[in-house]
Amino acid sequence: MTNPVSRREFLNLLGAYGGTSAVLRAGAALGFMPSSSQAAEISLRANNGKKVAILGTGISALTTAWELTKAGYDCTLLEASHRPGGRMFTVRAGTVIDEIGNYQRCEWDDDPHLYFNAGAARIPSIHSSVLKYCKELEVELQVFVNESKTAWVQDDALNGGKPVRNTDYSSSMQGFVSEMLAKSLGNSEVNSSLTESESETLLGMLRSFGDLNEDMLYKGSVRAGYGSGGFLDHGTKKDVIALRDLLKTRLARNVMVTTQEGTGSGPLLMQPVGGMDRIIYAFANRLGNRIKFRAPVTEVMVKDDGVEVAYEQNGVTELLKADYCFNCIPSHLMSGIPNNFPTEYTEALNYIRRGKAYKAAFQAKERFWEKENIYGGITWVNAPIQQIWYPPHNIHGKKGVVLAAYNFGGANYTEMSQEDRIEDLLKHGEKVHPNYRQMAEKPMTIAWHRMNHMLGCAPRWARNRGGWSEKEEQMYETLRQPVNGRHYLIGDQSTQHSAWMESAIQSAHYALADLDQRVRSEPA
Amino acid sequence: MKKLLTATTLILSALCLPAVQAAEGDVGVEAAMDDRYCTTCHGVEGIGNMAVEAPRLAGMESWYLKRQLENFRAGIRGTHEQDTQGIAMRPMATKLSGESIEDIVAWVGSWEYVPAQATIEGDINQGRSAFQSCAACHGANAEGNEALGAPALAGQNDWYMVTQLKNFRAGFRGAHPEDTYGSQMLSMSKALGDDRAVINVVSYINTLVK
Ligand SMILES: Cc1cc2nc3c(=O)[nH]c(=O)nc-3n(C[C@H](O)[C@H](O)[C@H](O)COP(=O)(O)OP(=O)(O)OC[C@H]3O[C@@H](n4cnc5c(N)ncnc54)[C@H](O)[C@@H]3O)c2cc1C
Repeated sequence: MTNPVSRREFLNLLGAYGGTSAVLRAGAALGFMPSSSQAAEISLRANNGKKVAILGTGISALTTAWELTKAGYDCTLLEASHRPGGRMFTVRAGTVIDEIGNYQRCEWDDDPHLYFNAGAARIPSIHSSVLKYCKELEVELQVFVNESKTAWVQDDALNGGKPVRNTDYSSSMQGFVSEMLAKSLGNSEVNSSLTESESETLLGMLRSFGDLNEDMLYKGSVRAGYGSGGFLDHGTKKDVIALRDLLKTRLARNVMVTTQEGTGSGPLLMQPVGGMDRIIYAFANRLGNRIKFRAPVTEVMVKDDGVEVAYEQNGVTELLKADYCFNCIPSHLMSGIPNNFPTEYTEALNYIRRGKAYKAAFQAKERFWEKENIYGGITWVNAPIQQIWYPPHNIHGKKGVVLAAYNFGGANYTEMSQEDRIEDLLKHGEKVHPNYRQMAEKPMTIAWHRMNHMLGCAPRWARNRGGWSEKEEQMYETLRQPVNGRHYLIGDQSTQHSAWMESAIQSAHYALADLDQRVRSEPA
Repeated sequence: MKKLLTATTLILSALCLPAVQAAEGDVGVEAAMDDRYCTTCHGVEGIGNMAVEAPRLAGMESWYLKRQLENFRAGIRGTHEQDTQGIAMRPMATKLSGESIEDIVAWVGSWEYVPAQATIEGDINQGRSAFQSCAACHGANAEGNEALGAPALAGQNDWYMVTQLKNFRAGFRGAHPEDTYGSQMLSMSKALGDDRAVINVVSYINTLVK
């Protein structure tokens, strides 16, 4: 390498100054997880009959209603949509996708395995509150396979557009990166700062990480699968993909990283058996007729001694008077609903933007991916569809639902017609699987920016990539304080880690703790 | 005209029951089959929503609303790549039937005129003199003139008028060959010299609220 790591830089890496390793030296146990991994214990003071209005039926609202109902509060939930759950939405036979200007009804086979999690799909093992409710409400979970080395990487710029197995790509990339690092250890400056044992450990790891030969060079690896043989006969290695070729695609950033976002993602995740909305219905069925559907909130007035909420039902405006109100209506939609919130509160509500996201899925005639040795995981594609997911459940069954597009942050499908979206996903998918078009039955698509009563995906607070400004932090604090001690804004919008169910639930716990404290301090 | 389906509630009163097998359809109701989606973006009874840049519809003339919905549907409006807000609106309209447009127009027509709150401050005197050329079509009090195809401006969200004037000036709106009224507006908007002039004239329109 022309510009090897200097001795000083290397010492930095070794942990002489700050960084995470400083924590290690301070003696903190690495085994501990961040505090968020412990689900909060909710013990509300039993309360007879205080009335609570809960606006929306996102997971934060359902959590709130469930905990308050258990403690004896009298809850009413108002939901604008025909269904509960907001961004936790599963599509299966008969489901309506209420996208504005693109109404769809799903006509897949009526089979419990054939579903599509159009919103949230994956539960990480440190999302303890989500897991806690799954346990409490007896929602059966199974493992979700987030990474498969046999899935594909496809980019028109790579390998003449022909797909490459994830493992071909990642083995070669790991090999070359290891080879380069091993060479830089030959640099005497760097080497002299390591003890012999450290140097051996590091080289040993690199050899194994990259599958390097004795000369610490990468000359291909059987990790990429065998060129021929492998079981009855000796296995031969496949051809190596040259580093220059690997660098023709930018998909490396997705292919090489399965753990992101504060360990929110990883090779092992979970999903409810039968669809993410099992969690929603586990709450909603228990709450029964406390939930009013197609009852959009039309006004929220905070009073001295409570909150008055107007809503519409069957064309008639009704008034709900409550002692407290918990509101998960998306902030940018709340801006279009008359209210008497303080100015700085409305300003903060107006400030939050929404990220775009879209997904698509179809019912596959046959589980064609299994014939390609794929049993789950993600294919990465450099196209608007970005990802193809294969169902990890019902292995060797007859049909399966393939997630045919998932773009988190992208807007491409938002402005496309249903026909164009379908053609786009088939066109790009068949570059990966030649029989894709023949296999695809009844594709369904969803652009969250056009979903009725949602209009977007992740709440976006920070305008700058660099992080939250002081003003943003202030506005966030404003929204976390209940208006007049009566109106609580909940949902992942009032957390600093949006687009996770865990965050939405924790926002509810935070608000409930505040309410409980107020109730306890009231004169008896 | 389509009617709102009345909700058939299939709600089960299930609290206190032991673990119920959760399934879609146990709770929830039929989805609506009409195209009355406007309030999700445009706010309750069309009061407008700044957070999603959707303007006030309450009080908008039915002939103007109808023309715009038809223009969006036909791609006469909302197809210029710089017309961000128009592009966002267009897909909502592409599938509307003539019947749906009639239904929406009647529905929106049932909402009361609610003047929007002022959010901008410019030089009202400068704005007043610039407004003279607008008044020829839009009326001295910005009350609109159906015969000339010019909508009322008084009471509309000022941030929306600012965006639209800027779009007309830049040719992001009104440049489509079939946008007859839009193209008139495009040439008229050039009379406003710069963004400052746009702010001023809209600030003056804010004073005309009935
Ligand atoms: C594509 C996608 C992928 C995701 N993937 C994951 C994942 O893998 N794992 C994960 O943990 N999370 C994921 N998330 C995020 C997760 O779904 C959300 O963080 C969580 O569901 C938000 O819940 P909430 O309580 O904030 O309410 P929301 O789900 O935002 O619900 C808001 C509710 O308000 C209702 N409403 C709107 N207007 C009105 C009105 N006027 N009156 C009454 N009600 C109204 C809506 O209908 C809705 O029910 C994903 C989200 C999306 C969209």
